[in-house]
Amino acid sequence: MANAVMERSAQTMDVESKEVEIRVDHLGVTFQDNEGNDVQALTNVNLTVHKGEFVSLLGPSGCGKTTLLRCVADLQEPTEGEIKVGGKTPREIRMAQKFGFVFQQPVLFDWRTVKKNVELPLEMMYQTKERRSKRADEMLEMVGLTNFANHYPGQLSGGMQQRVNIARALGIRPDILLMDEPFSALDEFTKEKLHEDLLRIWSKTNKTILFVTHNIQEAVFLSDRVCVLSPHPGRLSAIVDITLPRPRTLDMRETPEFNELVRQVRDSFEGGSL
Amino acid sequence: MEMKKVPLTKQKWFQVLFWILFIIVAWEVGASVVAVTKRTPENVMPHLYQILAAAFSTKPVSSGMSATMVVLTSARATLLRAFGGFLLGAALGFVFALLMQMSKAVEKMIFPYLMLIQLIPVLGLAPIVLAITGDINKSRIIIAAILSFYPVANNTLAGFKSVSKERYELMATYAAKKYQIYGKVLIPAASPYFFTGLKIAAPLAVTASILVDTLQGDGGLGCMLSQSLKHAMSIYVFWLIVFFSAFVGIFSTYLISFIEFITSPAKRAAWNGRSLEKKHRRAAMKAARKEYRKEKEDGRDLISQTCSENKA
Repeated sequence: MANAVMERSAQTMDVESKEVEIRVDHLGVTFQDNEGNDVQALTNVNLTVHKGEFVSLLGPSGCGKTTLLRCVADLQEPTEGEIKVGGKTPREIRMAQKFGFVFQQPVLFDWRTVKKNVELPLEMMYQTKERRSKRADEMLEMVGLTNFANHYPGQLSGGMQQRVNIARALGIRPDILLMDEPFSALDEFTKEKLHEDLLRIWSKTNKTILFVTHNIQEAVFLSDRVCVLSPHPGRLSAIVDITLPRPRTLDMRETPEFNELVRQVRDSFEGGSL
Repeated sequence: MEMKKVPLTKQKWFQVLFWILFIIVAWEVGASVVAVTKRTPENVMPHLYQILAAAFSTKPVSSGMSATMVVLTSARATLLRAFGGFLLGAALGFVFALLMQMSKAVEKMIFPYLMLIQLIPVLGLAPIVLAITGDINKSRIIIAAILSFYPVANNTLAGFKSVSKERYELMATYAAKKYQIYGKVLIPAASPYFFTGLKIAAPLAVTASILVDTLQGDGGLGCMLSQSLKHAMSIYVFWLIVFFSAFVGIFSTYLISFIEFITSPAKRAAWNGRSLEKKHRRAAMKAARKEYRKEKEDGRDLISQTCSENKA
């Protein structure tokens, strides 16, 4: 246990020397509102995410954090600047099925069982039935839903549905996990449970995670680094290193170090509306 | 612990029974009034027992066949064509909905004019179709298909449109091909809508086919219906056909619900879940009642005990 803590903290210390996974360079996104006026969703965003890092994009609604995530996932075109993922364009990475995207809503298919939902992306990859079934079983075991494999999404609670969503995203063995406020619709108890689950899964698989949230405690608790975005126009106003040791436990939320980091993050918002 | 009982008026079987009884009583009241006020009451509203008697009588009414036999043989001619037309219309409806979903241009071209088909009275359309095809059976099929087509096409298209943006985006993150999106998302998502279309279309197809029958005199429910009305045979044939087609119409809708239930495992699972829940609720209620009774008895014991102690 102590060993693991040392290892992780060592990783966060010399993060500079690690391989770059995502590079966002002078990114800007402008779109038209209903009256035809230009609205700057994002302007001049520069960000580097390293392999295996857990980075949060934190900000109030309207700050463009989801837009940034969607640009990385190639769900949206940037109007300025560029993004490189492992030296390639986001489209190339998307077409190579290297992204796992977790939406705020579970987006499950109600005519498929839980297991078949997890198998869906594997069907896109033309995997054989046996391999799909084996992989789905593994994933469901990881998120603790083995007993619900043959249930339908409508029979599960919101927290369980979100766990299926995460299992599905991880099933394709993505290099990068992109999460768009995945826990914001859940109650506190479920959320805390899923935070622990996510960190456990992350430490096992060592994926790069880009995590969008508007919850400061959540961002500080989960991340290696917190990117603070401010609105009007959406911009990256600060990056805060989270020096808390790993593995993180729920008691850490009570420590002065944690509260100090939360305060530091809160202070770095620009515009003072918070 | 208090358990609420579902009130009688909210239980399904009670509602069904209520309406059946209501219709029977209302009919009989009407028939009794008609029996004394009209000269030929059996033409307006005969008693239900008279209709039942006609159904079970073996007396020949037309070319040596009893009334029930007349209805069944003509029903075969009509319903087979209605079914054929229904299948044709439903298939075309689905294909058109798919085409409209695939191409915005096709949708803009076709969709606003689809409704026109629905607006042309079948009564006017049927003779034209009969004149063109020159065959009553083909006409039955075509008219039934025309009427089935619109509800299926319209509902299925609504089903395709119901797929949320998130579902498309999720498929995009997996780099899904177009045919995969159709096969794995759009068509399954539209399936309940498609079945709704079928449920509307089925009784329409039956009605359409009966209507076409009335145009020509060689068999079919509609033909017998008009002949019976013109007193070419017992008027009870008319009444039997009225009840029979009402039954077929209602039955066709339930049949499609049943087919949907069989083909949709998610629906079956939900239904199993509900019936299981009901079972648990019933068991819990029984246990609660038992406990309540026991408590009451224990309470009584306690009271009598304290009473006797006091006396002592």
